Amino acid sequence: MIRFENVSKTYKNGTPALTNVNLDIEKGEFVFLVGASGSGKTTFLRLLLREELPDQGRILEAGRDIGALPKWRVPYLRRNIGCVFQDFRLLPNKTVFDNVAFALEVIGRPRSTIDSQVPQILELVGLGEKAKNLPSELSGGEQQRVAVARAFVNRPLILLADEPTGNLDPSNSESIMALLERINRTGTTVVMATHDKNMVDRMRRRVVELEKGEIVRDQVRGVYGLDETSAQ
Amino acid sequence: MNVYIRYAFKETFANLWRNRMMTIAAVLTVAVSLSLVGSALLLKQSAAQASAQWQAGTRVTVWMQPKASGGEIASVKAELAASPIVKSCSFLTKEQNYLEAKKLLPPTEFSVLTPADMPTGYQCIPVIPTDAATIESTFKGQPGVYQVTAPDQQIRQMEHAIRIIQIVFLALAAVLLLSASVLILNTIRMAIFARRREVSVMKLVGATNWFIRGPYITEGFIQGLIGSLFAIGAVTALHIWYPLHNEFTLGQSAVWGTDIVVLALGVSIGSIGSAIAIRRFLDV
Repeated sequence: MIRFENVSKTYKNGTPALTNVNLDIEKGEFVFLVGASGSGKTTFLRLLLREELPDQGRILEAGRDIGALPKWRVPYLRRNIGCVFQDFRLLPNKTVFDNVAFALEVIGRPRSTIDSQVPQILELVGLGEKAKNLPSELSGGEQQRVAVARAFVNRPLILLADEPTGNLDPSNSESIMALLERINRTGTTVVMATHDKNMVDRMRRRVVELEKGEIVRDQVRGVYGLDETSAQ
Repeated sequence: MNVYIRYAFKETFANLWRNRMMTIAAVLTVAVSLSLVGSALLLKQSAAQASAQWQAGTRVTVWMQPKASGGEIASVKAELAASPIVKSCSFLTKEQNYLEAKKLLPPTEFSVLTPADMPTGYQCIPVIPTDAATIESTFKGQPGVYQVTAPDQQIRQMEHAIRIIQIVFLALAAVLLLSASVLILNTIRMAIFARRREVSVMKLVGATNWFIRGPYITEGFIQGLIGSLFAIGAVTALHIWYPLHNEFTLGQSAVWGTDIVVLALGVSIGSIGSAIAIRRFLDV
């Protein structure tokens, strides 16, 4: 589903963000991306969204080289990728319903589809009752569930999550992880960058560790950290 | 498409209302700037009109002596007809001049005149108003010619002044238009900057650039439209209450023309301004 071939990316100020990264992610996989701040996790996700282009190498998504896409095709690429961020990125002046409906409106879905799919997905994330509330009236965990609903409402092939539990307490983190797992079980490929050690250790999914822009570890049923954490 | 048009209208009006202070600021900017631009254009046209009226009124009159012979009158007539700088001439009979004198002279002086005392003459329109002086010097002193009268220096100075006024008004309109464009662009840019978050979310969920632009451009269009309608009101008010109205009388068509120019400027500044202002936030 996702393939990095010798991908390198250096920012304009000379900081190398990724160096010679090779990686294959199969359809339906759940991958944790771990590593210290500045290790290249966010760059990895930005490259997948084609917010950035690699300096070297190719990135394939569903068999297509996304670097070769013309600019006007980029929005169509992003329609196949759902995104969740640490800071939720909801629109503060739209209701929960409208925030989720927005993702469908933007890609030109008819009203009837919106009216049937949005309540369904809100039910899935457990916010059926709060459809008419504004994001500011929800807790952090609830807001993140709205963000997950928005990311998943048009059934993308890939779901990217950049530290989705970074702002949440453990119980809310649990519910977000449960949601992501459930989405993953529908066949959606999930890539999640995280610092949440407990979560990674408990889930026992594939773990890719980045350090200074290089992949230093790729384990099928991994844990968060190796040496120093396990030694403690 | 239908879905999009509905979405764009819904978004446009929601945004106009949500950012109503910005909307009011943009509308007022357009209204004030374009009122000034429109007024300057109107004054420029008034000046042009006045100038044209005065110039069209330029007449050179070749007065014959009352006792001039038929041959002398005929030769002056032939020479006027042959002159390339004379457009047309009409003959003033003694009777016509007698009646004209009756209007101009006090009754005591007029009572001593008879039609036989009156001179005949040719009233001529020059092809180019400024040639009046040339005609004057050509016919002065010819046999049978009593006097040649042409518009005096004062009118020519007036025409010169009006030309300068026209240029000043046009330059003023141009400068005002430029400052209006910059002000409007800035207002729209501020409005969009306040909503850059929304734009970034739209990009994230896969909206195309035209999809994002649509409501913003419609919004700018509507702001420009409302602003220019106010400006048209101001321009029309100026036309009605302008103190020199009688001397600078402009036809209704000139006012309509100015209104259309103001409207076109308003809506294009609004919509193109929005398109330019949003460009920066689309480039992700």
